[in-house]
Amino acid sequence: MTNRPFDHRASVWVRKLVLPVMLIAVWQIWASTLPAGSPAPAPLKVLQTLGDLLSTGSLLSATVQSLGRVVMGFTMASVLGIALGLMMGASQAVRENLDPIIESFRPIAPMAILPIAILWLGTGTPTALAIVAYASFFPVIINTVHGVSRVDRKLVLAARTMGISRWTILTRVVLPGALPSILLGTRLAMGVAWTAIIAAELAVGAKSGGGGSGGIGQMMFVFYAYNIDLNAIVVCMAVVGVVALLIDQLFRLVEKRLIPWKA
Amino acid sequence: MGSAMTTSPGSAVQRSYRTLWVSLRSFAVFFALWWLLHWWNGNPLQLPSPLKVFEALWGLLREGEIAEHASVSTLRMLLALSLSILVAVPLGFLMGLSPRAEEYIDPLVEMLRPISGIAWLPLALFIFGVGDTLPVFIMFYVGFFPILLNTVAGVRQTDARLLAAARTMGIGRWPLLVHVLVPSALPTVMVGIRLAFAASWAAIVAAELIGSPTGLGFAIEWYRQMLMTPKVFAFILAIGVVGYVCDLGLRSLQRRLTPWADGTGASS
Repeated sequence: MTNRPFDHRASVWVRKLVLPVMLIAVWQIWASTLPAGSPAPAPLKVLQTLGDLLSTGSLLSATVQSLGRVVMGFTMASVLGIALGLMMGASQAVRENLDPIIESFRPIAPMAILPIAILWLGTGTPTALAIVAYASFFPVIINTVHGVSRVDRKLVLAARTMGISRWTILTRVVLPGALPSILLGTRLAMGVAWTAIIAAELAVGAKSGGGGSGGIGQMMFVFYAYNIDLNAIVVCMAVVGVVALLIDQLFRLVEKRLIPWKA
Repeated sequence: MGSAMTTSPGSAVQRSYRTLWVSLRSFAVFFALWWLLHWWNGNPLQLPSPLKVFEALWGLLREGEIAEHASVSTLRMLLALSLSILVAVPLGFLMGLSPRAEEYIDPLVEMLRPISGIAWLPLALFIFGVGDTLPVFIMFYVGFFPILLNTVAGVRQTDARLLAAARTMGIGRWPLLVHVLVPSALPTVMVGIRLAFAASWAAIVAAELIGSPTGLGFAIEWYRQMLMTPKVFAFILAIGVVGYVCDLGLRSLQRRLTPWADGTGASS
């Protein structure tokens, strides 16, 4: 009986679902033993809240707002990071001079500069953008420099021997060679950026008395501090997870398209 | 590394002097730019001069305030990291060795992993309240996944020929684990621990900033509210330095524990 592939596949699926289903069932049973007024979240209530938040559109608009910030901050960081990274990779002098500065900023967590960002830019979108851009800058630049340094020297020398201009060498030889590493950097950066935006929106909400920064992090904070709705917080957490997963899959897809020889 | 060096092939000492000189020059330019920006901005509450920041840093160091907050944060970090290691490494070995166990556990891991530690903050604040438990929990959660995934990968990478050879010689399960699997997986596990440290050090600032009355993250936010900007900068500097020193420590531990490993593996 177990020889039939369908049965085998079905049993794998059963095994994969056992723990998540059990966890959710235990959670639901535990929640149903609590007195009626308890704020504790329960799976069924979470689903219900999800329906409510979707029907009012507030969940979607908050997610879109956060995503918009992530994309903008990420784009700024990528443009700057890839440009600087290519220059550092191409020129020893640029690398030597910039490396100490970049390496000394790298251990400073994005959230550590949040208070400064609030001082400079207020509690709105510019602060969120600054945090996202700062957070995603480092994976991009480090992986770009790494990628350029691994481009085959002989290819560059051969191109130079043939009298090809520096610019053409950069765009035709160095960039394609470094692309796998650059794409890895952008994928890591996007993941970091999504984490950073949640942190920034949460902290801005927490530290500015719920000032209107918006976004899904802010939404979570409001559900924590004002409405005390733990079910809604769990909904937000699930959305954060799903969006993170989708972003990662999207970037892997782009990697497969752009560098089919690697992926 | 691979690029053409234009300098003459001097001795290692000469080269390290050169690196030092170049770094000093870069920092001098950096501080000059900072000072110019401060002078142009004209608002010391927003951007204090570098001198004021070093003055604040010196004062905080002398009064022991930095040491106090830094030790609180570092202790929390160590506690959380040890907890992650204690849970994730055995689980990783189990998942790496038994495909059946992996089938059961992996979906749960993949379900939770995309939810960043920061997103747990509001719920965790509700459960644990403001205090020590919250940052430790967040850091444990953040550090758990890199260690687990790297342990699984490390166990899987074990050379099949080594395993076969050991089995042929009639080795028991326990010696196989201790003498073959652990040494083979350890370099990858150490990479996971370093990644876990980097992630949880970034998370501790957020956790302390929002939900703790002590620690480096708390201090930064506290002095922002007091509008003592030089002290804010001083504490940001302290976060960077402590993070850097801890990473150096982990690197040297990595070299001590796994001298047979080549390079540092994946970088992020």
